[in-house]
Amino acid sequence: MTQTTIDSSGRQSRVVWYRNIRVLRVVGQAIAVVGVVALLWWLFNNLVTNLDRLNINTDFGFLGRPTQFQVPYDEGFNPRSSVWSMMLVGVKNTLLAGFFGIILASILGLLVGIGRLSSNWLVARLATLYVETLRNIPPLVVIVFVGFAVFTFGPFPILSEADQFSLFGSDHSFLILSNTIWAVPSLIAGENAGLFWLAALAGLGAAAAVAWWRTRVRERTGKPHHRVLFGLGAFLAVAATGYLIAGDVYALSWPELSETGRRITGGFELNFGFISVTVALGLYTASHIAEIVRGSILAVPKGQSEAANALALSSFQRYRYVVLPQAFRVAVPPIISQYLNLVKNTSLGIAVSYAEITMLTQTSIGNGRPAPQSIILLMGVYLALSLTISSLLNVYNRRLQLVER
Amino acid sequence: MMRVKRFAVLVLGLALVAAACGDDDGGGNLLAEVQDRGTLRCGVNDVVPGFGFVDAAGAYSGFDVDFCRVVAAGVLGNANAVEFVPLNATERLTALQSGEIDVLIRNTTWTATRDGQDGSTFLFTTFYDGQGFMVPAASGITSLEDLADADICVLTATTTELNLTAVLNARGIPFNPQGYADNTQLRPAYEQGQCQAWTSDASQLAAVKSAIESEGGEAQTILPDIISKEPLGPVVRDGDTAWAQAVEWSVMATVQAWEFGIDSTNVAGFASDDANVANFLGALEPSLGLPADFAVQIISQVGNYEEIYIRNVIPIGLPLEGSPNDLWTNGGLMYVPPYR
Amino acid sequence: MMSDRPFLEPGLEEPRLLIEEGPREKLPPARWLRRHLFNNWYNTAITVLLLMVLGYGGYRFLLFLFVSGRWAPVRQNLTLFMVGRFPRSELWRVVAQLIIWSGALGLAWGAAIAGARFRAAQTGVPYREDPVLARVRRYWGLLALLLLMLLLTESVGPLIVAIGAIGAGAIMQWAGTRVPGQYSDLLWALVGMLAVGGYQIVSGFHGNGWLWMGVPLAAGVGGLTRRVNWQRPRRVRIIRLGSIFGVLLLSYLFYTFVDLRGVGWDKWEGLYLNLVAATVAIVLSFPLGLLLALARRSTFPALRVMSTAYIELIRGVPLISLLLMGRFFIGFFLNTDTPLSALTRAIAAFTLFTAAYVAEIVRGGLQSVPRGQIEAGQSLGLSPLGVTRLIVLPQALRAVIPAMVGQFISLFKDTSLLSIISVAEILQVRALVHTQPAFRGFGIAETLVFVMLAFWAFSFTMSRESQRLERRLGVGER
Repeated sequence: MTQTTIDSSGRQSRVVWYRNIRVLRVVGQAIAVVGVVALLWWLFNNLVTNLDRLNINTDFGFLGRPTQFQVPYDEGFNPRSSVWSMMLVGVKNTLLAGFFGIILASILGLLVGIGRLSSNWLVARLATLYVETLRNIPPLVVIVFVGFAVFTFGPFPILSEADQFSLFGSDHSFLILSNTIWAVPSLIAGENAGLFWLAALAGLGAAAAVAWWRTRVRERTGKPHHRVLFGLGAFLAVAATGYLIAGDVYALSWPELSETGRRITGGFELNFGFISVTVALGLYTASHIAEIVRGSILAVPKGQSEAANALALSSFQRYRYVVLPQAFRVAVPPIISQYLNLVKNTSLGIAVSYAEITMLTQTSIGNGRPAPQSIILLMGVYLALSLTISSLLNVYNRRLQLVER
Repeated sequence: MMRVKRFAVLVLGLALVAAACGDDDGGGNLLAEVQDRGTLRCGVNDVVPGFGFVDAAGAYSGFDVDFCRVVAAGVLGNANAVEFVPLNATERLTALQSGEIDVLIRNTTWTATRDGQDGSTFLFTTFYDGQGFMVPAASGITSLEDLADADICVLTATTTELNLTAVLNARGIPFNPQGYADNTQLRPAYEQGQCQAWTSDASQLAAVKSAIESEGGEAQTILPDIISKEPLGPVVRDGDTAWAQAVEWSVMATVQAWEFGIDSTNVAGFASDDANVANFLGALEPSLGLPADFAVQIISQVGNYEEIYIRNVIPIGLPLEGSPNDLWTNGGLMYVPPYR
Repeated sequence: MMSDRPFLEPGLEEPRLLIEEGPREKLPPARWLRRHLFNNWYNTAITVLLLMVLGYGGYRFLLFLFVSGRWAPVRQNLTLFMVGRFPRSELWRVVAQLIIWSGALGLAWGAAIAGARFRAAQTGVPYREDPVLARVRRYWGLLALLLLMLLLTESVGPLIVAIGAIGAGAIMQWAGTRVPGQYSDLLWALVGMLAVGGYQIVSGFHGNGWLWMGVPLAAGVGGLTRRVNWQRPRRVRIIRLGSIFGVLLLSYLFYTFVDLRGVGWDKWEGLYLNLVAATVAIVLSFPLGLLLALARRSTFPALRVMSTAYIELIRGVPLISLLLMGRFFIGFFLNTDTPLSALTRAIAAFTLFTAAYVAEIVRGGLQSVPRGQIEAGQSLGLSPLGVTRLIVLPQALRAVIPAMVGQFISLFKDTSLLSIISVAEILQVRALVHTQPAFRGFGIAETLVFVMLAFWAFSFTMSRESQRLERRLGVGER
């Protein structure tokens, strides 16, 4: 419908097209889009022209060529394998550091956050000291500090003279500590490991069934369901049966120092880069998470705690049933963003020579791979990681909101 | 009406801001541009004593740094008209590609890949080096085979890393590299025993060895195996032949002067019957874009190759006699085309 | 703390009538210990354990600080840590900049206080003055660092500089509070000029800086002309436009022909660089972030999609990847023949990065303005631009100040990443210190602790201020 307006003499007339708001809006948007697209095209064109001028290739073919350098602490990596597989190694390392860092940060952050609200003055002050110190130092400095303090100048001996800890007269050491590698025992899958996993799966099914049954019992009779206990019992029963029947499921592999004193055979190795990055980022992010936890607990209205007290709930019950569930709801979105920050902060691994994706990308650029494509790939990797994590956790968050309401 | 005026003012303002931010010069060949500009932008190292080092007062010194001055003296007539741009290993070639520097003289090895796909052109080799290994003397390691399964410290993004992998894999020696971004992280790791060996160019190892031992550290041994050829020299961007030639002949003038026996003490008033010497000192004008007396400027302001070497490399413990960097008449590899 | 205010609902500002809480019980020491440290068995156990750990740790730490610590690298290289390899003959510029900026800050602060007092007088809400002692107590981190550095220096120069800067700030603050409210726009123009002037006294009054100086100067002149009672309205407009244009022209001529060179920002290094880079990045990112936030909330789907895409893209990648992009190939996008310096590219990357986060913060602030305000503005006949400019933005921006300070702190901490692209900020300067022959392997931990302290002092102080601002503005509750 064409716009009409009323002019000064009271007559209706058609609005001119250049004053018609709808036309102006569409035209305005079109100009904006065209402008942005033109800008992007100009930038991209410049990039391609300049790269061509310097004979740097502009495609992604470099991904198929051999890497030519060895990735630190990855003995299985063949330098002849492609750059693409090297990047996969980098992504794996990033995820490993991110995963364990998140676990450490969550546990520590929860403890410190609650500790800040403790009635014990000393505990509260120490927690505050921890938070206020670590929150205000850059994560890079924390990583460098942990790397230096724990490993380079730390109390651990060099690998050939590593400290080996064994249990009460056993021949095997369950912990080997040095200033480059820490080793712990690992599990090696035996022949029937697959059978065992099938049994475990069946156990999960059994647990679910039992939990459902107990819920029904409670609905019928009103007795407490204890479904967690029953479910756990069912799972353990089935899994243990499967383990015993299968026989050769897992063997413990003990870490051992090789004869030359330079390698660890067996067991599971943690290299100093990984430990530095994980521990440092865990400590750093824990300080942020502690603040979030504290804020979320304080955001629960005081009336809730008072009502819990009026119902004679113990302090632990008050936290477990009243305060923490409500606080949890408030805390989840900022904690998600802290997790993402942790994963993004693993990109600082070059400071301790940890072979995560950013460090490997920088190395490969320095060794002659084209920079623009490599960095774009790098950004794509992080984008994918952060979008995945945030969407998964947002689904969980939304479910939390719905269920609680 | 008011809105249109305001919009016009806004656009005008943005245009002014854009004008204030833009800063384009015209294009052109690099030689003319550098001579126009009056300073040479030279990419160097800043943490390697003897080659590229900057002290606390901001003064640059070193073998490569002196060759930057040589190029400046040749092209601009003034050895001090240099702007030093410190670069790390990862960014040195991209800085050259992007035009941030005019020439890169920074311990960079001439390889086919760098010539081809990095958009760079390598010039006359000023220093013939090779990659070696350094171990603590007390470790008892005497050959590469003793390094089986060892942790080896290496700077990332260098040919050192690639050579290490290639050679040790070819010999079937397993190893684990620890890659560090710069020597400040690497050296504590090596000294504290996190890695058993340090691999780098033999020249850098010599510098570090003398530094460690003179500061009271453990005695160090440089293994006799030299596993690669590392010809180091200036690098320029692809596609500008005039600039490349100007830089190259400036650099080669130092070796030619050495061959003629001309150094900074006797260049003023050096007399000889040899027509080649006269050409070299300015009688010849070969249209390289350099001033006719560029050699005199270079030698008087910076010195000849021997002087530069003695000033910078001898103090870190690498002798000139018997090394590949000696003059060709003494059995070395320093041989330059005649200036005629 | 909330538990101390049982009669107040969260979210409301303090009402004028406060139910005064009773004087807090002063417990005798024994009772206090009993209540706070040993009130039940597990608390007792924890306290004992912690005291043992603290005792031992504290002993070792003090030993490290005073006895076995090798502080010579720090002591001898303080200037290096502060300004890196800045040409020593030009250090007077940095000193002048410190004093000018301290004065500008003081002036702005004084003007803010005067404005708050004025508003308080008008509306009747009491304005809580901030006694100097309380302020000193709040800034103890920064003051401790300053004190430490002054103790470590071996000359009296830094002490004089510190006193000069603090004195300038204090004097200007006093002056700012004395200026009557109706001259506040002139005051802000003066603050702008001091800010730009302080920057350019180091970078030089030349080239394209004329615009940066010209804008606040023109604003001040425009404010002045507005105050004169000219006879004819048309003449007013001509005179005002003419004077603004004249000021800009003069500025341009001065900068182009008088052309005072300074020290380009490639030579700015050390802690100085960290601070300046963070400041420049946040100042530059603010307009971009504001535009992005407005675009994200706009009704034009195209704008919304583009700005959302940008924001989500930037927020999903780590800053180091943007810095690497800036380092390696931003130069390829532009056709400038004078290539951008490393620092310029890094600051461009910082700006792009921060703009996305600022956009999110501003968006939150915009959302916090009640819809009724917009509707009221529309009912007054204001255009959408007018509503945004006069009603929404002032309220929104006031609400986001604490979050912006938080973003600034985060950006300041992120300037440490410049060391990875080998720009010589304080962490990289530390590496440089350890290439000196005397300190190659010496005092490595001590220098790292010093760098940590430097970062900590500034971040801690700023975060305290931000928390205080948040409490005063009553933000974040709704």
